[in-house]
Amino acid sequence: MKIIIFVLLSTLMPAVVVADWETNMPRGVTPTSIAAYDLHMLIFYITVVIGILVFGVMLYSIIHHRKSKGYQAATFHESTKVEIIWTVIPFLILIGMAIPATKTLIMMEDTRNSEITLKVTGYQWMWKYEYLEDDIAFFSKIDKDSNKARRLNSSIDVNKVEHYLRNVDNPVVLPTNTKIRILLTASDVLHAWWVPELGGKKDAIPGYINEMWIDIKEPGIYRGQCAELCGKDHAFMPIVVKAVPKSEYHKWVSIQKDNRIATKEN
Amino acid sequence: MSANLEHAEHHQPSGIMRWITTTNHKDIGTLYLFFSLLMFFIGGLMALVIRAELFEPGLQLVVPGFFNQMTTMHALIMIFGAVMPAFVGLANWQVPLMIGAPDMALPRLNNWSFWILPFAFTMMISTLFFEGGGPAAGWTLYPPLSLQGGNSMPFVIFSIHLLGLSSILGAINIIATILNMRAPGMTLMKMPMFVWTWLITAFLLIAAMPVLAGAITMLLTDRFFGTSFFTASGGGDPVLFQHIFWFFGHPEVYILILPAFGIISTILPTFSRKPLFGYDSMVYATASIALLSFIVWAHHMFTVGMPLAGELFFMFATMLIAVPTGVKVFNWVATMWRGSMTFETPMLFSIAFIVLFTIGGLSGLMLAIVPADFQYHDTYFVVAHFHYVLVPGAIFAIIAAVYYWLPKWTGKMYDEFLGKIHFWLTTIFVNVTFFPMHFVGLAGMPRRIPDYAVQFTDFNAIASVGAFGFGFAQVLFLYILYKALKDDVTVGEKAWDGAQGLEWTLSSPPPYHSFETPPKVE
Amino acid sequence: MNTKTKKTYYILVAFTIFMFSFSYMLVPLYDLFCDITGLNGKTNKVKAIVIEEPSERFIKIKFVSNVAQSAPVKFYPIEKEMTVQIGKIYNTKYLITNTSKTNMITTASPSVVPGEMSQYFRKIECFCFNHQEIKSNETKELGVQFMIDTEIPNDADSLILSYTMFDITEKNINKKVSLK
Repeated sequence: MKIIIFVLLSTLMPAVVVADWETNMPRGVTPTSIAAYDLHMLIFYITVVIGILVFGVMLYSIIHHRKSKGYQAATFHESTKVEIIWTVIPFLILIGMAIPATKTLIMMEDTRNSEITLKVTGYQWMWKYEYLEDDIAFFSKIDKDSNKARRLNSSIDVNKVEHYLRNVDNPVVLPTNTKIRILLTASDVLHAWWVPELGGKKDAIPGYINEMWIDIKEPGIYRGQCAELCGKDHAFMPIVVKAVPKSEYHKWVSIQKDNRIATKEN
Repeated sequence: MSANLEHAEHHQPSGIMRWITTTNHKDIGTLYLFFSLLMFFIGGLMALVIRAELFEPGLQLVVPGFFNQMTTMHALIMIFGAVMPAFVGLANWQVPLMIGAPDMALPRLNNWSFWILPFAFTMMISTLFFEGGGPAAGWTLYPPLSLQGGNSMPFVIFSIHLLGLSSILGAINIIATILNMRAPGMTLMKMPMFVWTWLITAFLLIAAMPVLAGAITMLLTDRFFGTSFFTASGGGDPVLFQHIFWFFGHPEVYILILPAFGIISTILPTFSRKPLFGYDSMVYATASIALLSFIVWAHHMFTVGMPLAGELFFMFATMLIAVPTGVKVFNWVATMWRGSMTFETPMLFSIAFIVLFTIGGLSGLMLAIVPADFQYHDTYFVVAHFHYVLVPGAIFAIIAAVYYWLPKWTGKMYDEFLGKIHFWLTTIFVNVTFFPMHFVGLAGMPRRIPDYAVQFTDFNAIASVGAFGFGFAQVLFLYILYKALKDDVTVGEKAWDGAQGLEWTLSSPPPYHSFETPPKVE
Repeated sequence: MNTKTKKTYYILVAFTIFMFSFSYMLVPLYDLFCDITGLNGKTNKVKAIVIEEPSERFIKIKFVSNVAQSAPVKFYPIEKEMTVQIGKIYNTKYLITNTSKTNMITTASPSVVPGEMSQYFRKIECFCFNHQEIKSNETKELGVQFMIDTEIPNDADSLILSYTMFDITEKNINKKVSLK
């Protein structure tokens, strides 16, 4: 099926099909994202097995138990024993799913022993980042190239814009191998801060703070975007996290502090 | 549209006043069904605007603000305008026929509950032409965003109030009919499954719709009368709205699917020529799904930052729903097992329902797992999930019901060959449309965005192609209905040889007052 | 309509009305629920009872400030972090400056994370939800007096208290009182 569509589309739009065919959740680079991925795959395989069994029985029945083959209908229409079996077995499967899910959830909600605190505030339509311990604060919004290209009939080929809609002017710089507590709030309406490779999302709610934690295991640039409808430019408030080794992070922090002092003196 | 023509043909013509003043359950059922069909096409056109814009990255057709209005209105129209009225229409037609009653218990109320709808939707759709446009905060109307909306907001809220009123009146009528007008001998546990599922749905409606009315009234007073239920500056909480909304919203989800379960449970035995397997357990499963629906609402909002205990509770409760839903699916398969099946169009749609609804149910099970839901939440994976349970779920069941009962309602048979073509086109395109959405959602595409990063292009293009195919396939459905009414292929009392139930003892079409003398049920 | 149908009808209408009122009942129920579970980090409204014996345990508290709707105010805590003895009363302050050219009325909403711990964060004095009248360019001190409940679980690590400042001048324009 997929192949037919692929062939069909590749003849129709040769330019488009060069992009990747990402079909699954990224495994990510934090303990939370990896745990979510593992759970996702576990439940996915269980559902696939259930699906194959149920649809298999159905398919067998559809092929064999048809009037055109002269099959005579049976008359059975109830069986308490069978009903109990297919109530209890799914229940047991669910318990099997609930145990790892509960363990993972407890791990995810434990924000204790975090080393740095990053406060993220959602605005219509940008993000503000504050490093509470180091007194650094800045706004981060969509980069100029994407912003120009995204206008209605901008006549710019968005495929040629680097990281179209996934690039910002000021990325958040964070250290690797550090437990980071992220505080979330919003200035105006609901937003949600989500970088798939760093784990799940949390809502940013005006007047309230929420928290989550991440611990990035690999340096790199990770991209995401707002995940809660926040008005007309909801699609245009990307998130870029630049994860760097600790030493580099400290260097970055001191540069930021120097800059701040410089601007203050001016 | 050809609607009026058709009306004139299978009823005595006496002008438009007849339809405005009618208290006959069949007339009102017909009105509901045609209204629903009209809304289905309007909502569908909005979906096509959405899919056309999402065909490739970059904005080509609409500005983001209008796109948000389209997603909001598409949802409101499809839920309140297409699916719910279609089910109420089917109930109007079928409940009296299936329980051996002459008409509905409250016929004048019945007229009212229908005629509220056209006014409510005219008002709702007219907001699109307001300065500042229609509602754009999503059909869930989350504050504070919904409080920012333009002048459309009070009009939309008022029209939702009217829709709620209409549904509640309809539900009251259905309950009163089922409880008081059954033929002698038809005990509750002898009622057809469609009647059972509608009885439970009607109770859900009465329990859930007033809560929605309350929630949107609070929104209205927050905006215009200085209350602060949902504004933090006055001690309110935006998350409270989500709790109240989903306290309505989750039962609403089952309002949209339980009657579909009833339809499938009616059609499968007919074409398997074998009684429904596990009738009692089907009734209990439906009732327990309905009860559970009131304690799982917060799974729509796992990311708002609930305490761990709350997240765990709602996760377990949600997973629990898989048990009665599983029982239903297994019972359906057991009904088909060792039957003597034939595959007419209603049966084909029913089988597709079971397969595709199960896929939607299984992705629902994945969504229940909180740690994974932190990734799935508000992505296209969710969009794929609920379209799988609503389109091949609710809408396939409605289409199956129309094919199944059309001969009874009109005394005429549809074209079986065209019906099968309609089925295959619909089923193929529904999957082309919604299956790729799983992939882009998992890969990180949020929902409700008019434009996306280029790595999501291919699957979005496929989905858009599928959506247009699906849309055109429904034009064929219109033609099939038209042709059935035009042609003179008449049927007798029993259109399907395996069909069971009181409705098949009446002539096709049934007499004006369905059962003048109540039938005796063994 | 026969009597049986009438009865069903009235019962169902009454139930509908009950469910409508129930949606309003959900509001206080939710507050109660939040108080018990600390849902959404709502802080306890009950004033603290002074406990005789402060515990030997210490806990870190971070103070955070937010300004809603980018209102023209500067709003920040004087102390960003305190290590406090559990069961002992502490005082701290937030500063607010009106940077606009007009007078304004503001109000603040509190929030604590982790939400589950908010019930142990006892505020004895707090400026939350008070209407503050601040003249143009004026700076005001807003005091908080608080205590961490001795019942707080041993594994609690640190608490964050956040205030969000809202400019509500427009909402109160008709009630504009003594802003001279």
